Amino acid sequence: MENFSEVIAIFFSLDNFIAIALGVVIGVVVGSIPGLTATMAVALALPFTFSMQPVAAILLLVGIYKGGMYGGSITAILIRTPGSPASACTLLDGYPMAQQGHAKKALKTALYSSVIADFISNIALIFFAAYLAKIALNFGAPEFFWLICFSLTIIISLASGSMIKGLMAALLGILLSLVGLDEVFGSQRFTFGNYNLMDSISFIPLLIGLFAIPEIIEFYRKKALPHIKAKASGAGLAFSELKRCMTTIVRGSLIGVIIGAIPGTGATAAAFISYSDARRRSPNKANFGKGEVEGVAAAEAGNNGVAGATMIPLLSLGIPGDVITAIILGAFMVHGLTPGPIMFQENLSLIYALFMGIMFSSVVLLLVGNVAIKYFSLIADIPKSILFPIVLMFCVYGAYAVNNDTFDVWLMLAFGVLGYIFNRAAIPAAPFLIGFILGPMFEDNLRRSLLIGHNDLSIFVRGPITWAFIALTVGSIGLALYRFISARREARNIADKA
Amino acid sequence: MNKFLSTTCLAACSGVLILGMTVSSASANEWPTDDIRLVVPYAPGGTTDVLSRRVADLLQQELDTNVIVENRPGAGSTVGTGRLARGGRDAGHTILMASPGHTIGAAIYPDLSYDPVEDFVFLQNMIDIPNVMVVPASSPYESVIEFVEAAQEENMTFSHSGVGSSIHMSGELFKTLTDTNMTAVPFAGSGAALPALLGGDVDVSFENMPTVLSHIRSGDLRALAVTSAERSEYLPDVPTLAEIGEHNLDQFITTAWFGLIAHNSFSEEAQSVMQEALAKVMEREEFLDFAEQLGAEPGQVSGEEFKQFIIAEVERWDGVAQQAGISQ
Amino acid sequence: MTRAYVKRRIKDVSDVIAGSILLCFSLALVFYLVPNYINEPPILQNPMMSPRWLPGIVGWMIVLFSILLILQGFLLDRSGEDDERQIEKGSTRRFILMVAALLIYVALFEAMGAVFTGILATLILFVAHPVRTWWAYSLAFVFPIAVTFLFVKVMNVPLPISPIGF
Repeated sequence: MENFSEVIAIFFSLDNFIAIALGVVIGVVVGSIPGLTATMAVALALPFTFSMQPVAAILLLVGIYKGGMYGGSITAILIRTPGSPASACTLLDGYPMAQQGHAKKALKTALYSSVIADFISNIALIFFAAYLAKIALNFGAPEFFWLICFSLTIIISLASGSMIKGLMAALLGILLSLVGLDEVFGSQRFTFGNYNLMDSISFIPLLIGLFAIPEIIEFYRKKALPHIKAKASGAGLAFSELKRCMTTIVRGSLIGVIIGAIPGTGATAAAFISYSDARRRSPNKANFGKGEVEGVAAAEAGNNGVAGATMIPLLSLGIPGDVITAIILGAFMVHGLTPGPIMFQENLSLIYALFMGIMFSSVVLLLVGNVAIKYFSLIADIPKSILFPIVLMFCVYGAYAVNNDTFDVWLMLAFGVLGYIFNRAAIPAAPFLIGFILGPMFEDNLRRSLLIGHNDLSIFVRGPITWAFIALTVGSIGLALYRFISARREARNIADKA
Repeated sequence: MNKFLSTTCLAACSGVLILGMTVSSASANEWPTDDIRLVVPYAPGGTTDVLSRRVADLLQQELDTNVIVENRPGAGSTVGTGRLARGGRDAGHTILMASPGHTIGAAIYPDLSYDPVEDFVFLQNMIDIPNVMVVPASSPYESVIEFVEAAQEENMTFSHSGVGSSIHMSGELFKTLTDTNMTAVPFAGSGAALPALLGGDVDVSFENMPTVLSHIRSGDLRALAVTSAERSEYLPDVPTLAEIGEHNLDQFITTAWFGLIAHNSFSEEAQSVMQEALAKVMEREEFLDFAEQLGAEPGQVSGEEFKQFIIAEVERWDGVAQQAGISQ
Repeated sequence: MTRAYVKRRIKDVSDVIAGSILLCFSLALVFYLVPNYINEPPILQNPMMSPRWLPGIVGWMIVLFSILLILQGFLLDRSGEDDERQIEKGSTRRFILMVAALLIYVALFEAMGAVFTGILATLILFVAHPVRTWWAYSLAFVFPIAVTFLFVKVMNVPLPISPIGF
């Protein structure tokens, strides 16, 4: 590289290191507070970057983004309150682990898989950006439609217990996601004239309500049990366990990278796809959802794999894949830089300095995360009678802060009651969440395809990407049916013998 | 040149006016007596939000008081604006960054709880961002006329960033004026809409300048026209739609504007203090640099002129929304 | 029909109840909510484009699955798995105090401010359990104040402030 010294000169400034460290710390803290998301923190930090050097400014925001991605998992594991939407999947196994006294192990698993996934994602950003960007550009509405269809099949594998209840939960999730203004015609659906519902149901109150509040309700309905002062934070993560999860982490990271490179899908979907993939392949399948280390690893690898990869369409095409990258795009523009092919020609040394910073942020995340675990895992030792009232307070403040509106506090409590009913009726909440996330994407891309194709259905089979996803979808449903039937047959055989 | 003159004139006039005011009321407790709240009726991260935070930062220095940005998103911008319209004890120190959603919202959302004109005072239009009519590089159309003629024959698609956005309404306006067959394809934001345009899935779009400028320069998109009244200095070779003249396009002048408004109980004194401060903000180097980054022109109108502009906009979008069948 | 008789015929009561509620809901959805609360544009080139299309499909699928759920409740014995769902109920006082705390949050949050409602609700919940470590009660004051400060002053995220000023 001819201008290597220039890259070094840009990167090795104290400002950059401070920016990264500060960013990651802010991200972890903010991400771990329910209702305060990484998106919010990045937006709030933006004005402070106006007066900074461009590289330091971007790195601060990237640091917050990465820290926030991880930080969300801390409260998801410890108090069943996902700090950010993407960590909702982490709590499926993380919270049961914490309940069984393995809080520290769950947190460590989340951290290490986050850092590894982050690292893989960065490598993909640096070496395959151009290639992945090309794939992303070929991802039109019909391709998206099939990707969503394939993702919907993961509901089947998440519907632990009763298949009927799992599918029912997903349907209810889709139904609620449709509340608001219709995307094509702008007609109102189930808004009942309420302005708060026009922008559809806010995600954060739903998330907090569905997972955190039922725990609190349950606690106060149950008979008071004396707090057993156990070493609840428990032991750390053994190297052998990490090794066992390694393939899952790598696979999850790659899923995250691909999903992240496609604008508009998001980390939450990546986490769930990675999770269900891991569950499908794992020998400990039955333990998923009950506190499986691999489950935490898969979820966190999936959502952190997205972080570096969302920078791919941003840097190489100038297209922001999600809200955070849209804000980062804004930061570039404020500093007179326009991400896209031209930036690679004109400001190459700056881009390489950025890459070095992004790589370095993974290391910082590891350090900050370890310190965070040391203190946060103490939360697991606090008696629930003291912890839960404070958690509830955070939930209420957080729900309010999303839109500065008490309506969202109402919404959160309503979902809390719904979540409680779900618990009692043994209806799983995860498929509900997937339905809620994927429902609108399914409908929008279906209708978008029809509009683009002038109502010609052949657009749905227009190229190799669609064929591949159709095959995956059909295969996934076929496999589930086969498993279902063979499990039934086995059960009958056992019953006959008895 | 013309523009420059009018801006300086305006600034000078308001400057003199304010000078007189401040001298007369120097001893009394002057406005602002409290922190100023700048309401952003959109979620953090969008153009409105970024602009508002930049303006708040500069305004804070001019007024020597805290300017706190508050996001109150929802239903176009109508939730945040509706709250401002209700007034309340903070209304004397609250301003709001309005944008095309303010006038389009009135056309699209039913039973709006406020009047977009009468319930507010209009302080200053901060920036105007032109929209650009762009086609993919692979598109056969080299000019607006060619495109219109083709679109009168066959059905075309245009992408937009959401029902009621200025991008959407520009497309609908174009369709109405030229009497062409065009179908709106909605996307969730410009970020999601852009790949469809780059990949040629949709035929045309009326995107905001900053979103597409780099793609036009790199040759991935072809700009057929800009929607502002005059050519943009960023794309000097691209004609304005009004220039085209044919197919009723001389009536097609629209920009994405961003301006500050306040509740109609905002005192006279506050209005003049604010307008003076904003005029100063708009002369600042930082502000002009920022506007340039967005591909934007500093806003031209304030006060009564701004109000007249809003009245005209409300009327226009109401007509377009009804034509397009998106008014409920 | 005695309770025992019902129990004998129905293998899983809660499934039947859940199924019946969902059936009623989905029928209301399909026949009342969808046609009345979703406007359909006058011109449609394709039925799949209609804003009513997906809600309708989802509604009918819920109808189908709720019937299946009721049947499952009648036929499939899952009592072995039910054990997890059984809980030992606590005192009613505890539960009512918890509900009171929740209501305080939603009813007074805007009017009385975040700090006041936060302290009040947290104290009520502490009393409900009851927390016997006396110093823990100070947390009910420290946290709402500290967190509100963090939100409002540091993060610039507004929370309602009571008319008294805190």
